[in-house]
Amino acid sequence: MPADTGHTELPGLLSTWKDEEAALLESLEQIERKHGFIPRHIAEEISRVLEVKLERLRKLQSKVESNVRKEAEALVEKWKDEEGSLILILHEIQNQHGYVPRELAMEVSYALGVKLARIYEVITFYHYFHLQPPGRHSLSICMGTACYLKGASGLLTEAKNLLKVEEGNTTPDREWHLDVVRCIGCCGMSPAVVVNGKIHGRLKNGDVARFLAPAGPTKAAS
Amino acid sequence: MTKLLLADLAKHASRAPARGPNWVRISMDTGGIAAGADEVCALLEKEAGTLGFPLAVQRVGSLGLSFADPLIEVAREGMPTVVYGRVDEAAARRLLKDHLIGRRLLDDHILASRTRSVALDGPTTCLLVKDTSADSGDKTQFFQFSLLEELKHRGLQDKVQVVRALDMGVYDKGVAVQFLPSRVTYVNVLAADIARIVDTTLRGKKIIDNLLYRVPDKQVRIVLRNCGKFDPENFQDCLDHGVYQGLARVLGGLSPEAVIAEMKTSGLRGRGGAGFPTWLKWQLTREVARTPKYIICNGDEGDPGAYMDRSVLEGDPHSVLEGLIIAAHAIGASRGYFYIRAEYPLAVSRVERAIADAHAAGLLGDNILGSGFSFDAKVRLGAGAFVCGEETALIASIEGKRGSPSPRPPYPSERGLFGQPTAINNVETLAAVPEILLRGGAWYAQYGTEESRGTKVFAVTGKVRQPQLVEVPLGITLRDIVFELCGGVFGGKTIKAVQTGGPSGGMIPEHLLDTRVSYESLQELGSIMGSGGMIVMDQDDSMVEVSRFYLRFCVDESCGKCAPCRIGGYQMLQILNRLSRGRAEPGDLERVRAISKAMQKASLCGLGQTAPNPVLSALRYFEPEFKAYVEGGVTYARKMSQARPAESAPAAAPATA
Repeated sequence: MPADTGHTELPGLLSTWKDEEAALLESLEQIERKHGFIPRHIAEEISRVLEVKLERLRKLQSKVESNVRKEAEALVEKWKDEEGSLILILHEIQNQHGYVPRELAMEVSYALGVKLARIYEVITFYHYFHLQPPGRHSLSICMGTACYLKGASGLLTEAKNLLKVEEGNTTPDREWHLDVVRCIGCCGMSPAVVVNGKIHGRLKNGDVARFLAPAGPTKAAS
Repeated sequence: MTKLLLADLAKHASRAPARGPNWVRISMDTGGIAAGADEVCALLEKEAGTLGFPLAVQRVGSLGLSFADPLIEVAREGMPTVVYGRVDEAAARRLLKDHLIGRRLLDDHILASRTRSVALDGPTTCLLVKDTSADSGDKTQFFQFSLLEELKHRGLQDKVQVVRALDMGVYDKGVAVQFLPSRVTYVNVLAADIARIVDTTLRGKKIIDNLLYRVPDKQVRIVLRNCGKFDPENFQDCLDHGVYQGLARVLGGLSPEAVIAEMKTSGLRGRGGAGFPTWLKWQLTREVARTPKYIICNGDEGDPGAYMDRSVLEGDPHSVLEGLIIAAHAIGASRGYFYIRAEYPLAVSRVERAIADAHAAGLLGDNILGSGFSFDAKVRLGAGAFVCGEETALIASIEGKRGSPSPRPPYPSERGLFGQPTAINNVETLAAVPEILLRGGAWYAQYGTEESRGTKVFAVTGKVRQPQLVEVPLGITLRDIVFELCGGVFGGKTIKAVQTGGPSGGMIPEHLLDTRVSYESLQELGSIMGSGGMIVMDQDDSMVEVSRFYLRFCVDESCGKCAPCRIGGYQMLQILNRLSRGRAEPGDLERVRAISKAMQKASLCGLGQTAPNPVLSALRYFEPEFKAYVEGGVTYARKMSQARPAESAPAAAPATA
């Protein structure tokens, strides 16, 4: 379980209220207000600590005035005139949250009248959509052919060693997410990497460390 | 903005763009921005007011000279217009001070013009000098010094400036000298020629014939005609530069049949890779009676190592939109989609902007230009799936589903998007359409070969000296593209192969580089034209590794719907993996060939059918490299792949490494 701020607030909140439904509802609302939705790992923790069945918790959750539901409904409403709107909705969620939270996907499925499995079918098919929350910073290494030939594998190894994670993963402290991208179309200045959305090109071995400095990526000398 | 009518566009046709004599154009495409163009642009915009004369700072698309990003084109009254490359902030400050105020060109940043002249017109004000050989060293400095000394000796040093260039556009021709503003270029200049140059050419205004470089520019810019020329986000600027004139001609009186006939004359074939005649695609879609019909612009440029669609969408979105509207008119479509990769956010925003501007001006929507034709276009984002470049998968993706291809027939021209007749054209194809209709199909057909007409944009990358976009008439040789236009191999190494067509294409070895590029000729060599990625590999690149790289790409991208692609690709990759670890089994190469054949024959869509191409072509031309892995193990194979000359002919003597 990731060390998230969500857990520290639980004991104080829940010890006084125990299994009272109204109270639980209120604490759920608090969590909802804090996160914008009720993260699954917190829901699981609540159900474990309070020995409430997850299904019952879910039922309670549906009573909470949910931002997630509102968001999902707003998205569905926004694209309702478009045929094949699912991918458009997912794009918007991905851009907003950095991933597609399960809670949101469930609400979208409900609002759109599409089975959750269908939505996951689409999410998992496309590389662009992620199911896990991203790190605070992201480092994507381009593995297009031009970059590959000019030594992108070296950059990838270097990044893996420095961050101590495999590609497609986030560091345990959720600071950095390391990814490999297909081609960002900057073949003229290969090898290139994308650091927090900004492209840096014409790199050499040893250049990756510069982006991973604790203060965040430093400005690249061109 | 009020809605335009046909008559309004006609006015734009003759209007010269209003711009002062002093301007700078900054290439603000993704590549340029990655290299720091936005900082430079901000600096120039800030300082433009302090110069004491009006300076127009324009953000334009890329000129294609990617090796020198960020690019800035500078015009100063009374001085030759030059393109600067690799302009960082420090260089930009010097540019302001020295060039714009001090009227002196900057050393080491100028890219000499590719359009060279053979006649001097007017007095020379500047000499560009550069040693064009691969191991460029001190010679440039020496020549600059010597020329300057000679000029001083003749008392010309105040009239003519001598500037070191960054790139001359000619390669391996010794020291090159270009005269500005006439753009006469001398090559293979020796120290002994310096006095002659100053005496004959600068003072006598006569050209020295045996130094003159007469080879004209091999590039013909049709698709890239507007890239880097004006601000794609400034609609007025686009109109003034003649965008939408092709559409005006079509809506002003050309029937859809006449448009299709014109396209037939032009001989334009799909630039996405397969080369299906564009007119025929339109004709087939037109013939189907059902409505509504759709037109799709395929901007899902998934081929790694290619970026011409991105450059065109970023640099000239209005021309692509114009092509889309013309295509819609020809096939009778009422709705159009741009399907663009989400990895190209700038291209997406520029196209969206173009659509909004066109809407406001009445170039989209009901009753376009008062002609009675109605059409609307939208942008749909790809989401990172290579297979979505395939027509049927792309359609599924726009419909909001998984991008799985479906068997053809029925072809999209019959049952496409939402079950309706649909035509899908590549970005580059659509960008060429307006110019064809404006200047006529016969004009376009003068370029290229009998079967493959017109021009094609190639993104030449990899181990090449000057990676860039080039647009060349088809029929040019690969050697001309790689060596003459892009300067040959990076670091003075030996070329081993050129890969065309990305993961669906194949390797073309050095001894076949004199092949004339066309759809058919590349296919005969076991490769394809593809979308236009051209990747240069040198002697250090192991063909086994490269083919493994491509195969891994296709295995990752296989949608998994049909077995030959899903299982065949995986098994082939397993074999190559163990081969590259030196654990190949006897008969593995035959096994690879057998699986390849099965995949080519039985796969559902283009991805599976072409996935074995890189491996097969590598096996065809570089079998000894694979055999070295099988027979001698990894260390031996690595040594062999580097020592061996590019030819696979057994007669080639193995050099001692």
